[in-house]
Amino acid sequence: MSAGLSRLGKTLVCSCEDVTAEDVEAAVAKGYTDIESVKRYTGFGTGMCQGKQCLTCVARLLGRDRPDQVMPFTPRPPLVPTELSLWASAPVDTSRPGVGGVPAALGVTPGVHPLKPEHPVPSRARVVIIGGGIMGLALAHNLARRGETDVVVLEKGYLCHGASGRNGGGVRMQWGTATNIELAQRSIELMKGFAREMGINIWLRQGGYLFLAKSTQIARKLEKSAALHNQHGVGTRLLSPDGARDLVPELQLDGVQLAAFNPDDGVIFPWAFLWGYAQACQKAGVKVETFTRVTGFEQSAGRITKVITDRGEIACEAVVLAAGAWSPSVAALAGVRLPNEPHRHEICSSEPLKPFLGPLVSVLDSGLYFSQSMRGEIVGGMGDPLEPAGMELGSTMRFLTRYSRAITELMPITGRLRILRQWAGPYDVTPDNSPLLGRTPGLPNLLQMSGFVGHGFMMAPAVAERMAQWMTTGHPDELFTRFSLGRFAEGRLEREDMIIG
Amino acid sequence: MSSSRRLNDSAPPDITIELDGVSVPARSGEPLAAALIAANHSPFSRSVKYHRPRGAYCLEAACSNCLMRVDGVPNVYTCRTAARQGQRLERQNSFPSAKLDVFSITDWFFPNGLNHHELFAGVPIAQEVMATVARQLAGLGTLPDQPAPPRPEAEVRTVEVAIVGAGPSGLAASSELTARGIAHQLFERESFVGGRALTSVPALDVPLPAATALLGHVVVGLFDDEGGLFLAVVTGWKENSPRLLKVYAKTMVIAMGGHPQLPKFLNNDLPGIYAGRAVARLIRRHQVLPGQRVAVVGEPAECGALASLVQSVGGEAVAVGGTPLAAHGLERVTGVTLTLAGSEQTVDCDVLAVCEPVAPSFELARQGGARVRFDGRNFVVEADADGRTGNPHLFVCGEQTGPQSLEASMASGRRVAQAIAEGGS
Repeated sequence: MSAGLSRLGKTLVCSCEDVTAEDVEAAVAKGYTDIESVKRYTGFGTGMCQGKQCLTCVARLLGRDRPDQVMPFTPRPPLVPTELSLWASAPVDTSRPGVGGVPAALGVTPGVHPLKPEHPVPSRARVVIIGGGIMGLALAHNLARRGETDVVVLEKGYLCHGASGRNGGGVRMQWGTATNIELAQRSIELMKGFAREMGINIWLRQGGYLFLAKSTQIARKLEKSAALHNQHGVGTRLLSPDGARDLVPELQLDGVQLAAFNPDDGVIFPWAFLWGYAQACQKAGVKVETFTRVTGFEQSAGRITKVITDRGEIACEAVVLAAGAWSPSVAALAGVRLPNEPHRHEICSSEPLKPFLGPLVSVLDSGLYFSQSMRGEIVGGMGDPLEPAGMELGSTMRFLTRYSRAITELMPITGRLRILRQWAGPYDVTPDNSPLLGRTPGLPNLLQMSGFVGHGFMMAPAVAERMAQWMTTGHPDELFTRFSLGRFAEGRLEREDMIIG
Repeated sequence: MSSSRRLNDSAPPDITIELDGVSVPARSGEPLAAALIAANHSPFSRSVKYHRPRGAYCLEAACSNCLMRVDGVPNVYTCRTAARQGQRLERQNSFPSAKLDVFSITDWFFPNGLNHHELFAGVPIAQEVMATVARQLAGLGTLPDQPAPPRPEAEVRTVEVAIVGAGPSGLAASSELTARGIAHQLFERESFVGGRALTSVPALDVPLPAATALLGHVVVGLFDDEGGLFLAVVTGWKENSPRLLKVYAKTMVIAMGGHPQLPKFLNNDLPGIYAGRAVARLIRRHQVLPGQRVAVVGEPAECGALASLVQSVGGEAVAVGGTPLAAHGLERVTGVTLTLAGSEQTVDCDVLAVCEPVAPSFELARQGGARVRFDGRNFVVEADADGRTGNPHLFVCGEQTGPQSLEASMASGRRVAQAIAEGGS
């Protein structure tokens, strides 16, 4: 349908982000049928109006057959884009832990998801991976590459629903231990080839990470870690405040003693990473079962024999627990106690602006970090030292105020920017800030792959490569003994202290 | 052609603003968007990906078409910003200008859309070039010229009942609470009360309930903390010195109505296409007729009322009713193909007004823990006949539960107030 002098026909559903009705249909054809996935895949609802104009239109497209299966997106305050300078003006009591978060009642996936498939899960598989986040999917992909395709990945929500879909996309080699530096180096190398291998863009942009230290103690830490980086071939440079200002002229660096910059660190677009792995897995024959919950395990003679889900049971030879911050609650179903604790970390995104900020900037003293995404938004967060443990993922104004005060002090021009949306994700925190990898004492075919303390996204490609090799060849790999769950009982901690966010 | 104009009996412009260096007459205090429409300026902006021309659509800050850089601040809603002498407006996201934007080639180059996930993925060199180009093209606007001035410390207040929105249902709730002696505050983002009774059609033929509202108070969020549920409210826009209020309330009443949607048809984003309510608002509130020949399509009752309003101020209603299939025009709408009474026809027009019931603006109620469900047409807030939601401290009234008449909205506001009074809040 078209006539005379006219623009080439496009039917917009989201005019903020130029998403057409065809784009929505294409996403559905690719298997992204729930509203959260369609939002992420097409970008609809992520512009200045935050879905006010388009959400209903998309819901009508998706809900033609089953309106009861259509839910609105998770609430993303604020209602109206609002300046950081205004959020910074609110009172906040940082002497006590925060309370609340909206909407507390909703949680992440309340009850049985309306999109839970009706057909049962496969009745057997050699390997069952619990958790369809970056860890689980990367592992499944690497197993498939090594010929092991008899694998089922179980995900309780949509892809990107957990921490893998809620992080800032930062990837860096600037770590405090040799192991983490090497893993991150390998991950970034793999990320560079990801688009070629998977046919999907992850928009890796190596603008560097600029760490800032305010206290002498933190400055010493930067010096020490920079030396370690250089030993490993990472080009971290120590900079004076003036040197940091050369990189980001908008910074106001009173009180900053030292900076560290590695130009090869960067940011990626996290969601596409999961989709790429998931598509490759499915192509290879791996089953990725979304909206499926694990409800228990069957054990016999010190081994797990079956994984029980709300869509039936799967007999299996090995189980990998890669459920991030949800891992302790899943492990508990097998009678295993993990030392990890979930901690809410909040994050927010500003209006999109033309590129002006090269590196990701982080103040190591406070955990403040922010970068400019490929879309132009300033995405950032700052951990709350008083945040209690628990799976609370509500958004708070306390966070907006703490973050806005910190970022506007460091970079005053940001006071004029407006927050478009905020959300939270769980850090999967272990007692020594190092992961859990390898066999479970007493249940040797339950393999742990969690505890990455909010930084798993950037470790996953390399960790999954090593883990698949270890699982399929049986060759010993020190990673899976050094970071085993047993280390806590043995009193052998592996401390990492370059944690931000 | 196009021929938008100020109505004869309206006050003449008394100030001048500047758009990309060109003087535009304006009336002090009217929305910038109204002044630009009255003076026939189009487009307002270029879209983010295909650089398609865009004009104001909803005039309710529920789309992004009217955003401009104003006095050095990017992404300002011109539909929400009052005109002041000498303001400098700049169109964004176009080169060299919004009227002749070389990047609009993108729209022609990708007639079937552009899949940014797969485009050039893994193609050596092309992939890197694309990433660089994409980054330069992304984003809307550039950094502000100046940091924000210091803001006053946010005021914290506690009220018994807070009502959000002084449209028909919010006014009715407030008036009933006053009659029953219950202390409350009524927050309204506009500079007037009455909401859609004054900005859309049909007009209300009974008087609006009397109530006192805090005008120019934009509720930007509903949160909770150790003190309970509270609203984040920004005010002081009129004086150009915004400040934040934190308003705790034992009971919240959300009466925010709904957002105009963008109905699905070909080229539905051309400048000159407006939500029906936006056309009514321009005529009724701002005495601006956005074009001489107005095609009014969509929901029949609203179409008839809007067509009458257009004709009453000297405009022509070139189509009344029908379902739009495609809009025509290069830089703005010049015609529409629609089906009416089973037959397809194409009519020339300067303005295409799309009359559709609004979609409930459920976001704030949901932030407060109310349940929302999709009824096949809309997301609606679940509430009982008295407006009670799943959260005992949160009530909704008016179009939060679905499109309804002005009379029904007022009745629901009264019921909520009665329920609150009887609940002993």
